[in-house]
Parts: sequence; structure tokens; C-alpha cells
Amino acid sequence: MKSEDDLNRVMNEYADMVRRICFVHLKDRHDTEDVFQDVYMKYLLYKGVFENDEHEKAWFVRVTINACTDWLRNLSRRKCLPLDVIAEEGEALDDTAGQVMEEVLKLPEKYRNVVYLFYYEGYTAVEIARILGKKENTIYTWLSRAKDRLRERLGGEWT
Amino acid sequence: MNAIMDSMKEIRASEELKASTLQYLSGQRKVHSIPVTRHVLRYALIAVCLLMALGLGGYSVYRKPVSYISIDINPSIELGINRFERVVSADAYNEDGQNVLKGVTLKHVPYGKAIDRLLADEAYSGYLTADSVLVFTVVSDRPDTVIKEINESGTGHAYNAQIYTSDEFCMEEAHQYDMSFGKYRAYQELSLYDENVTVEDCHGMTIGEIQDRIEGCKHHRWSEDDVQQIPENNWGGHHGGRRGHHGRYR
Repeated sequence: MKSEDDLNRVMNEYADMVRRICFVHLKDRHDTEDVFQDVYMKYLLYKGVFENDEHEKAWFVRVTINACTDWLRNLSRRKCLPLDVIAEEGEALDDTAGQVMEEVLKLPEKYRNVVYLFYYEGYTAVEIARILGKKENTIYTWLSRAKDRLRERLGGEWT
Repeated sequence: MNAIMDSMKEIRASEELKASTLQYLSGQRKVHSIPVTRHVLRYALIAVCLLMALGLGGYSVYRKPVSYISIDINPSIELGINRFERVVSADAYNEDGQNVLKGVTLKHVPYGKAIDRLLADEAYSGYLTADSVLVFTVVSDRPDTVIKEINESGTGHAYNAQIYTSDEFCMEEAHQYDMSFGKYRAYQELSLYDENVTVEDCHGMTIGEIQDRIEGCKHHRWSEDDVQQIPENNWGGHHGGRRGHHGRYR
């Protein structure tokens, strides 16, 4: 079991990232809180050793995405679209950022993941492929399609 | 690129969320760090209590299912599992399932072993073809434990099984339609994509046919989520096998 110091450290280090991944997938704060706790609970009980900081971060990315998809599998929760969160989270954003967020959240989940990891976290396609357990070409395809869709909706200038 | 950065940068974990999570984990840490000797004593005490309860007519405790597994391929069979992890009921929800249950004894057997026994049964194994889809659906207040047992029994890997979770409410609804809750869950998923599909339609379909229609609908509706599991132990290019999905363990 991980130490309290470890927990505090990873809370400071990854809480915002975990929260953002939850935001990309989930529909409201209550769901996010549950998944957020699940992710850190898994860390608390994780017995493996991380090779380095990047490995640890990638573990958090994977576990959070999996926890979100697990959550969404539940049909009763899945009936609502994740767009509800915009009302809560979008207050602090200007019109353009809010519109971009809305369009990103409308993307299929696999596209949302790669868009977030590529554009926000700054992972390369090779790294994303490794984290998500996909082929590199698949990531390029998803990114390309996601960009096309965003360009269709937001105009050609957004990138 | 900046637009995405701008749209996401205000999304942060609140101090309240961090604090409540740390508080929750602190409680969990105490639960998980009970010394082994205390665990042993606790289990011994539980065993004594159970023996007493059984001695006082607690057979009803033994007979009461606390978890359920729906096993669907075309035979649809539901196992009820008691708190001692033994099968206490085995019910078929179609003719194929009834025929299979006539020839295999599953009751009073640990459920992992019961699943192995069922899949190895001559009548049942006839349905396990290269094209068939084997689906386990779990209703339990500790689904992760049940899913782990299914995975560790080897059957999941051997037959490329998919694992889902459901709940008691859906199970009751399914039984009103005389359908296993595993197949009913698949029907519910299909109904998200195809408004015209009915329970009666699904009665006449195998779970694999329902899954095929779901996949077909997904491909025609890009806006639907195509969620996929990622092996959490994956690092450095190892690709895990096809894995089911499960609910929360908390």
C-alpha cells in the first residue's frame, strides 16, 4: 500500500489531470467525484513499481480513462450526454473557449481522449499509442478525424 | 491548439475534491492495513458466528443468493451465488439453456468451478464456436470480486468472453420478460441505438446477434461513444487481450 506522503504527492501532481480526463468523459460533478476517488483508491492499492515519473503519469492517464469508461458502461448513467457539465464548468470560459470545449465534448470518446492527450497534455502520437495500447497509425487516424470534425464545426482557423 | 488549451485550463480539481478524496482514502487505508493476525481472528470469529447461525436454522442464509451471473451465448443461464461463493440456483431462460441444465450439476459448487464445469459440458460446448460470443453479466454488491474470479477461472480468456455488470432493478425487469438479465442488458444497449427494437425481437436472437446489431448501429452513428478498455498494466507496447468491463468496486 502506498504511503501517505506518496498519496499527497500524486494528489498535488495529477489531481488536475485526473479531473480533466473525468471532465472529458463524465456528465456531472458527482460522477467525477466517484471516479476521481476510484482512481486514487487504485493508486493506494497498486503494488507495482513505476519506472519513472512518465510511467507514473501514464498509469494515471490509463487508469482514469478506464475508470471513466467503466462508469459510462452503466446504462442508467449513460443515457445523459456529457454536455451537461458545460453549464457548470463553462462559466469561467469566454465564448470561444466554451464553444471549443463544447465541440470537443461532442466528439466520440476515442477522439476526445487523443485530442486531450495530444493538445493538452502534449503527448506525441507514439506516446499516446503506447498509453492507450493502440497502433501508432490508429492514433494518427483518430487525431486527423477529430481535427476534421472540429474544423467542420469551428471553422478552419481554430488550429 | 491554443483554443483547446484555453478551453481546458480552467478545469481543475478543487481543494474540496482533493480533501474529500484524501479523507476517504485515509479511511480505506485503515481498513486495508488491519494486521494479518487481526484478519485471522476476525475470520475465525465470523466462522464461529456462521456456524452458530447455521446451527440455529441459518440454512436460509446458505440458500440466499447475494450475487448473480448471467451466462449468455445462446443458452441463457443464470447462476445465483450465496455468500459462501457457492451456486445455490441455476435457472435457464430459453430452451437451449433448459436442455443444458438437464445434463450438468451446478448447484452447491463454488461458482468458478461451476462456470468451468458448464463450459466444459458436452451439450454446452457445442455452442462455443469461433463465431459465437460468450457474455458474462454480473449483478453483485462486489462485482470486482466476481469478475476477478471469472477471469481467474480461465474461462474468460479461453473463450474470449465479455463481462458486463448490471443491477437488481434491471434483473427484475428482465425476468418480467422471461429473459436473462445478461441478454436484457444487451437489449437495453441496442435500444439506445435502435428505437424500434423490442424485447420480443431480442428473444429470438442470440447474444452474439444482438452484439452484432449494436456494433452495426455504432458504425452508422459516429456520435455514439465507442468506448474501449485499455489494459491498465500496459506499458511499453504490451497489448492485453480483449477484456470486459465492470462497475465500481466501492
